[in-house]
Amino acid sequence: MKELLKKLSAAQKLAAAAFLLGLLALIIGTPSNNHSVNVNAKEMLLSTIKTQDRVDVMTLADWLIKEKLDYTLVDLRSEKEFAAYNIPSSLNVPVENILTSDLRRNQKILLYGNDDVASAQAWFILKSSNYKSVYILDGGLNAWKDKILFPKLADNSTDEEKSTFEKVKQISLHFGGTPQLISGGTSSAVTPQSAQVQPMPKLSAPKSPAGGVAKKKKEGC
Amino acid sequence: MMPYFKFDYFGFDFSLVVAFIVGIGFGFALERGGFGNARILAAQFYFYNMRVLKVMFSAIVTAMLGLFYFAWIGWLDLSLVYIGDTYIVPQIIGGLILGIGFVIGGYCPGTSLVSASTGRTDGIVFVLGIFAGIFVFGELFPLIEGFYNSTNLGRVTLPEFLGISHGMVVFLVVLMALGAFAAAGWGEKVLAKKNGRGVE
Repeated sequence: MKELLKKLSAAQKLAAAAFLLGLLALIIGTPSNNHSVNVNAKEMLLSTIKTQDRVDVMTLADWLIKEKLDYTLVDLRSEKEFAAYNIPSSLNVPVENILTSDLRRNQKILLYGNDDVASAQAWFILKSSNYKSVYILDGGLNAWKDKILFPKLADNSTDEEKSTFEKVKQISLHFGGTPQLISGGTSSAVTPQSAQVQPMPKLSAPKSPAGGVAKKKKEGC
Repeated sequence: MMPYFKFDYFGFDFSLVVAFIVGIGFGFALERGGFGNARILAAQFYFYNMRVLKVMFSAIVTAMLGLFYFAWIGWLDLSLVYIGDTYIVPQIIGGLILGIGFVIGGYCPGTSLVSASTGRTDGIVFVLGIFAGIFVFGELFPLIEGFYNSTNLGRVTLPEFLGISHGMVVFLVVLMALGAFAAAGWGEKVLAKKNGRGVE
């Protein structure tokens, strides 16, 4: 081997190195961080029509109470909004950092923002980047507030509605919410603390903002 | 993460300084490669000195392997590297005009600047010719603007166009370069004998 190396000229050694690197490149194929992708528009359209990529807030509440661990709840809002309130167990990944986050392609990801807009954008970006199972929390945080934290019951509602409300009330209290009865335009909270302006539940523990999501620099030109 | 400019490591003003330093380095490498000499450049077209092919292919292979492996390691985001749009017909015509000018004048635009900066008269004349050409082109532009902007294919790359992986393209180009080097070495010997001229 040593003899052979000595015999070769510098140009021949470089040529051999280039050949080996070329051969290795053939095995590597395509460098992974290529962000331009082909999207199967039809497939996306179908999953949009079927709304199979949506999870409603009651289901999420159920998952949280049962402490299911097979999914990652992602809060797409800004760090400030996230610090003010977030759904328990959620991870803060502002939507502009979605591709540089630590989310893995085989993870089950449930997205939410204030409404459905940011989640829909992030859903498309992730889906087109080959993330396999991405879901949207239907209605986002607004729906979470309306249906879980501050559910309302009109006093002229049927017995069936009342019994459903009892269940929702338990769920709501579990998450620190304030269920309300609405009678003739004025609302009164069921819980002792009657408040016109509903306070957001206190966060149990300050969460570290999104495990190691580095802030990405803005693009120049 | 590269490309540095797109990731805002420096602003536009400083990018000009970077361009100046890179440009000086490029010019120096061209001069040392013998590209400031019209005889060597023109010899490529008569196949008795293959230095242009060797230098250019070495540069292409080096840059290509660098880009590929930097992207693979994760130092470089290839999708942010600027690639101009392909205007296929205007670019073929433009390429032919440039090639004819290259054979006649003995330089391409870059090498003429290298040559002029080392004080060669033919290089200086060539640079003046470039400015004359730019002036004529500018005056004619309204007439040829439609053609100039025709047949835009957008951003085309070989892997996308051929439907093969980046690695396959890299491998094929390396093979092509090595084959060309071998053929060039052999051809120079044969043709030099035939033409009675040595390898300059």
